[in-house]
Amino acid sequence: MQVWRVLVVEDDPQMRGFFANSVQRCAELCLAASVGTVAEATAWLDDDSNTVDVLLVDLGLPDGSGLAVIRHAVLRHPHCEPLVISMFGDDANVLASIEAGALGYIHKDSRPQDISRTILDMRAGASPISPMIARRVLSRYRSDQVGRAAGPAPASRLPDKSLPGTGPHAMPKRRLLSPREQEVLALIARGFTYAEIARLQSVTVHTVQTHIKNLYAKLSVNSRSEAVFEASRMGLLPRHG
Amino acid sequence: MAEPGRVDSTSLRAPTPPAQGLWAGLRRLLRQLVAPVLLCLAVQANALTLELREARASVTIQGQTKQLAVQLPYHWDRVHGGLQGAADFELPFTLAELPGRPYGLYVSRLGNAYEIWLNGVLLEKNGDMQNFNGADYAKSPRFVDITPGLLRTENVFRVHIRVDKGRRGGLAPLVLGPLDEVQRRYEHDYRWRNTGSMVVVVLSLLVGGVALVLWVTQVAPPEPGQAGRPEPGQMGRPKAGQAMGRPLRDRLFLLAAIAELSWTVNVGDVLIETPPFGWPWWGMVTIAATAVWVCTMALFCIEVAGWGRHPLVRWLGRWILLLLVANPVATAAALLYGYPLALTLWYAALGLTCLALLPVFMRKALRDGSIAHRMVAVALLLNTLVGMRDIYAFRVSATYGGTTMLRYSSILFGLALAYVVIARLRFTSGQVRDLLSGMAAQVKAKEIALQTRYQRVETLAREQARDDERTRILRDMHDGVGSHISTAIRQLQTGKAAAADVLHTLRDSLDHLKLSIDAMNVPPGDINALLANVRYRLEPRFLACDIRLTWDVDLLEPVAAMDASAMAQLQFMLFEAFSNVLQHANASTLCVLAHPCETPWRGVRLQIIDDGCGFDVDQPRGNGLSSMQQRARGIGAVLCLASAPGRTVVEITLGSVPSGGAVVGD
Repeated sequence: MQVWRVLVVEDDPQMRGFFANSVQRCAELCLAASVGTVAEATAWLDDDSNTVDVLLVDLGLPDGSGLAVIRHAVLRHPHCEPLVISMFGDDANVLASIEAGALGYIHKDSRPQDISRTILDMRAGASPISPMIARRVLSRYRSDQVGRAAGPAPASRLPDKSLPGTGPHAMPKRRLLSPREQEVLALIARGFTYAEIARLQSVTVHTVQTHIKNLYAKLSVNSRSEAVFEASRMGLLPRHG
Repeated sequence: MAEPGRVDSTSLRAPTPPAQGLWAGLRRLLRQLVAPVLLCLAVQANALTLELREARASVTIQGQTKQLAVQLPYHWDRVHGGLQGAADFELPFTLAELPGRPYGLYVSRLGNAYEIWLNGVLLEKNGDMQNFNGADYAKSPRFVDITPGLLRTENVFRVHIRVDKGRRGGLAPLVLGPLDEVQRRYEHDYRWRNTGSMVVVVLSLLVGGVALVLWVTQVAPPEPGQAGRPEPGQMGRPKAGQAMGRPLRDRLFLLAAIAELSWTVNVGDVLIETPPFGWPWWGMVTIAATAVWVCTMALFCIEVAGWGRHPLVRWLGRWILLLLVANPVATAAALLYGYPLALTLWYAALGLTCLALLPVFMRKALRDGSIAHRMVAVALLLNTLVGMRDIYAFRVSATYGGTTMLRYSSILFGLALAYVVIARLRFTSGQVRDLLSGMAAQVKAKEIALQTRYQRVETLAREQARDDERTRILRDMHDGVGSHISTAIRQLQTGKAAAADVLHTLRDSLDHLKLSIDAMNVPPGDINALLANVRYRLEPRFLACDIRLTWDVDLLEPVAAMDASAMAQLQFMLFEAFSNVLQHANASTLCVLAHPCETPWRGVRLQIIDDGCGFDVDQPRGNGLSSMQQRARGIGAVLCLASAPGRTVVEITLGSVPSGGAVVGD
């Protein structure tokens, strides 16, 4: 049986203990470590003797943003799949996390079994996405299309600073969404579940999950140069909580 | 008409006109004193040139012919005032030796129509010798070539003239001599009388035309003080109180134009031998033009001096108007009825007016006048003096030939006038420029003020939006999180509630908080997004309660009437409806439908249908349903409830619904 090694990064000791316990209660998961700051996390990740498969990270850490930990983990451990611990799962924070390399998010008020279930689902290829996030991604994609149609004049359209990745340091290129991915996103934005979408589109749930996974990949910054670019931008990002 | 056959041998000398007695005596005295000197000079200059002044005249007036011995010049109007007629002058002369080179004859004035004969040979003829009041050939000096073969030792010139009444007809002395000498004298005379007049005409036309164009195209200058530029000197000021851009013409330009154009007619007359209509009407026109010139120049001086509002000027204006009206009467009396004294008196009145105006104008010019004022003063002084000289020379003394000097002195007037017009134009242009720059500054100030006001409005709008959002969040907290937490506290304090109930209350609280956060990003009117969020947040709880959810939601057009606040209210209603199902319905299936609603309103109809135990819609538990009712009424939605065991329907219709249209019950 494959056992996934999990690193928990959460500054609140009680919450950190809750997540550590939730991981430990699952036989398929193994708690690699639990730390409370960006510095501790990066130090642990830099230690070559440590390996990690799943990163559970809170965004609001005392010495910086959890996004830095996600980027660092992706750089140091390419096979690591980060999951963001979010209080509200709000679209701004989640989207920023996805762009940093996260493959999903988990609510702080989730039950222990939901936490382990989410981790295992992610490892199996399923990533969650809320209707709000789907709508934001579609909206951004459409504005990109309008921008391309208008030609290479970024000054001609105002960047939406509320959207991560659309500010003055936005990525120069964004990979296009396929028509099927757009349809899936549109249905998610209308509140349909993966199963309902699969039924409506006469495909399997796994296919829908693949679309979402691809979407995550397209949104994430997974190349080294882009990571360096993002790292330079990191100081400009607001502190997430 | 000349009648050479009738000779009155009793009249040997020309009669002396009564008004001329004194002047004739003076002239004779002057001639006796000065003539020998001039004669000596002339002889020294050229002893061959003859000036023939002695003649035998045969004068025919009204059919009566008289023989006279006359001295030239023969000024017909002075001798036969108010009469027309003809005269035949015979001027014999002797040459000591016959000339071997061409000779020329120069006469400074003769006519109005004439014939010149030498030794029985017609040298030149101009005009109709039979009919009066036609063309006038007395305006220009005359020169005739004489071939040497025509001259003998004993010679006689015969000159026939036809003279109109009051038209300065007559005969000037005949000057005979070598061609080049006589021609030089002729050309000198011609230049002064004709070429000079042409120059004056062109200049006057130019100045008058420009002034007229400026007057016609002129628009209102800005109001004094608006442009902030002081007026130069004592120049007449433009009329105030008119809006910029409206036609408001400066009277100064019009006066200048009229003066110069009328002067053009007067001076140009010397160049017109055949006038457009006959004598004396054409004469009346030219004299009237002179009158208009003098009067408008007087008014122009008043304008330049800035006396436009002086009370005495009103009287002066009336006097000038009277002079203008009197001019045709005096001219008619002189030219039609043979009373030249009437015209002389009119000229005298005009001259005295100018003489009276002159010192006052000069005094003001010297004390505090502008450059333009002083230029006009000098021109006025010179022209008045020259004009008086001309009046004396042509109306009082018996001068015949020559030309008026006023036509040349008037050039100074024209130049002064042009300067004033240009100065006024520059002044007005400066005012316009200043006004435009002032307007630009005002526009800029207005723009700044507008921008400031806009920023204030924007700030107020932002503050208002912030207040609205704060109010909304407070209400959400009060109705949602706050209410749930206080319920949980009560549950814990009483000790009666089970842990599951408290947990449920707290989960409600957190879900509500999440929905409130979601609501911040839901676009106004997007019912799809709102429903999707509610489902996303509550679905785990449906799953936990083992309630199967059926989702039948169309792609909906945004509902225009649903703003952010209304969306929050709708979200609360949906949360309340779902929460009721979760808590009380004991349902196994929940169906959510959302479809466009075409009738009776264009909007959206939402239905939440469960197969739970139902409840009495008339006596609902708690205040959740009444709260939903209030919220529905607040956002203009219609809320319908229908409940029976096994089927409860909550229907919310959104769109263009009259306010207060909420309905509860079925």
